[in-house]
Amino acid sequence: MDLSRRGFLQAAALTAAASGLTVACGGGSGSGGTKNGKSLTMWYWGGALSDKVVAEAKAHFGSQTKLTAASIGGDFKQKLTTTLAAGSSVPDITGIKGEDIASFLPNAGRFLDLNDLGFKKISSQYLDWKTKLAQTEDGKQIGFPIDIGPTALFYRADLFRKAGLPTDPDKVAAEAGTWDDYFALGSELKKAVPGTYLINNMGSVFNIAVGQGTKRFIDENNHFIGDQDHIRAAWTTAVRAYKLGIDARINDQTWNAAIGKNLGTEVGAAWHALDIEQAAPHTKGKWRVCATPGGPANQGGSYLALPKQCRNPEEAFKIISWILSPANNARGFTDAAIFPASPASYAMPAMTGPDAFFGGQKIIEVFGPAAKAIPVSYEAPADAAVMAPYFTELTNIEAKGKKPDAAWKDAVGQAKQIARRQGVN
Amino acid sequence: MSSPPVTGPATVPEHRGGPGPARFRPRRTPPAGTVRPSRRGVLSHWRQYLAISPFYLIFIGFSFFPVLYSLYLAFQRYDGLGTKQFVGLQQFEFLWNDPVFWLSIRNTLVIWVLSTVPTLFGALVLATLLHSVRRFKGFYRIALYVPNVTSIVAVAIFFGAVFSNNFGLVNAILGTVGISPVPWLSNPWLIKLVIALLMTWMWTGYNMIIYLAGLQAIPTSIYEAAKMDGAGPVRTFFQITIPIMRPIILFTVIISTINGLQSFSEPQVLFASNAANQNVGGPGQAGLTTLLYFYQSAFLNNDYGYGAAIVWAFFVLIMVLVVINWRLVQRGRKS
Repeated sequence: MDLSRRGFLQAAALTAAASGLTVACGGGSGSGGTKNGKSLTMWYWGGALSDKVVAEAKAHFGSQTKLTAASIGGDFKQKLTTTLAAGSSVPDITGIKGEDIASFLPNAGRFLDLNDLGFKKISSQYLDWKTKLAQTEDGKQIGFPIDIGPTALFYRADLFRKAGLPTDPDKVAAEAGTWDDYFALGSELKKAVPGTYLINNMGSVFNIAVGQGTKRFIDENNHFIGDQDHIRAAWTTAVRAYKLGIDARINDQTWNAAIGKNLGTEVGAAWHALDIEQAAPHTKGKWRVCATPGGPANQGGSYLALPKQCRNPEEAFKIISWILSPANNARGFTDAAIFPASPASYAMPAMTGPDAFFGGQKIIEVFGPAAKAIPVSYEAPADAAVMAPYFTELTNIEAKGKKPDAAWKDAVGQAKQIARRQGVN
Repeated sequence: MSSPPVTGPATVPEHRGGPGPARFRPRRTPPAGTVRPSRRGVLSHWRQYLAISPFYLIFIGFSFFPVLYSLYLAFQRYDGLGTKQFVGLQQFEFLWNDPVFWLSIRNTLVIWVLSTVPTLFGALVLATLLHSVRRFKGFYRIALYVPNVTSIVAVAIFFGAVFSNNFGLVNAILGTVGISPVPWLSNPWLIKLVIALLMTWMWTGYNMIIYLAGLQAIPTSIYEAAKMDGAGPVRTFFQITIPIMRPIILFTVIISTINGLQSFSEPQVLFASNAANQNVGGPGQAGLTTLLYFYQSAFLNNDYGYGAAIVWAFFVLIMVLVVINWRLVQRGRKS
């Protein structure tokens, strides 16, 4: 009896020691890594880059470097922040989402300045406004633009035809030149085809209406301006759609089901085409695209960045500038509807071809001009956090029937408080 | 290896250079009149301490340290990457004036009451029923326990699909009997009800197993006596089962309070697909529980100091509620 207990204790101690050793080894190989820069890891998320181009990059640089690409699911920004804060197992190349780039700028020291690695020489190939959004005030470039999200109006030509509305993109664009015209069109559509809606929720209209302006919620002097006329106007536009009854008020997970059924139009970025295509494959050929009512805006569009811990900056920069070369960007558009930030791509055959999902329309004719006409606006690090209460309150109007004026007051109050918490004065 | 005989100290062989095995002995047969220094007593059990150490080491590294660190963070402004800035009690001042924080507390309490009461009552009833079942005992136990070990994310996605406003199964069934669609996932009260239902479904089986263990410890003679005195099943349940089970009920109430107030995954998964505005707990923020608000503040808005302040304020609230629960459940016992 005594022996077996001692034996057990010894075995347990050995096991504990062994497992401790294993953990230590595992940690070692993960974080210590090799400093010779032969292997590089890249983090991105599904749909951020063309998987085909990434696979080719692996082969193309295979002789010098082993590139390991990991598609990270879930909350990408949070995982990246945690890893950067921990300082180990940091990827050599990482994607950063467009809506998050501003919040990483105050910590630009965590990333390498791409201008030092040669971005300055090739930056003219990329849209200036997009490049600037990933630049600190003192000119440090932390993000290499992957794509942009020029917006457009997606509409169901078959439903428009049924309602006796124009179906030709140019004509629709002419009739829906402003938000008011567009809403008028929606009212007609709803009258002619009962049960159809023009927009999925007010938040999407508000988001784009804000993006059409040159000012957002916080100005360059770190002042809160979310209570001023430009935001109020965007708010009023969104609320008007609700009052006209052309708002489908979708705030749960039913967008996927609704998109192929009763949504007549969608205002969204170029990448939104893929969402529609995946959620409603049976509507292939029925959709068309035309210019956004009220002018183009940008929604999302990501960057690649090199964290400070990058094991071989020169090689990593070579890889990302290869993956994001105008020619490869054009292919990304064909593969995954990633709209390039490099205008030279727009003239390439890969992008000028007709799109079967949009009934053979050459959608670059809509997105190309939009991409170049997007207004430049200053996006503060706290911008996304400050914007959130506006969405929340718009949802409150839709879900609880909250009075729009009361909702506006609460949204501004909340936004001010978040701004104060984030150090905005 | 051979076991040394344990008949007496004199026969202990010099094993591995020391009287190691003999150290076990004094606990069983302490030599009269010898008082060992306590420090040596602790050290002499180093093997046992070593054996249980993995848990404590992991606990210290991954639970205890973060808890203390979050207390430190509650007095800082910190975006997760930059430098920390000491702000004193400012985060708590923000908290006090933040209507969303109080809304999240209200939401959490409502969801907690809506889920804990049916969970515990249902678990007790089910346990009583199962206690008297003769056949398929194992099957029932497993069937009722399975929801608890099912992935909470999977369950939440399933509930989200079933209760979907426009295309859900529940509304489809209601539709066949002529009831117009119910806005399960946009009405503030129904949102809470759906979340509470989900939690009830997940936790009833867990509590049922605990109650069942308690029931099986009650001697049958008490029930036989009650039967002879003419008590029916309902009266037996309320006057015999519940009083005897009081300590177990107290345990489940406290565990359910702690668990139920920490609801996070349920609303997070149910309303995560609102891409423009994630993690606000659905329409009207009706499903915004305190932990979800903490997550939103810390990990989405990168305001780690404020997030830490939220959870510490919430910790105080949970402690208060546990004490109240304790008092309530204990009260009847003294009278």
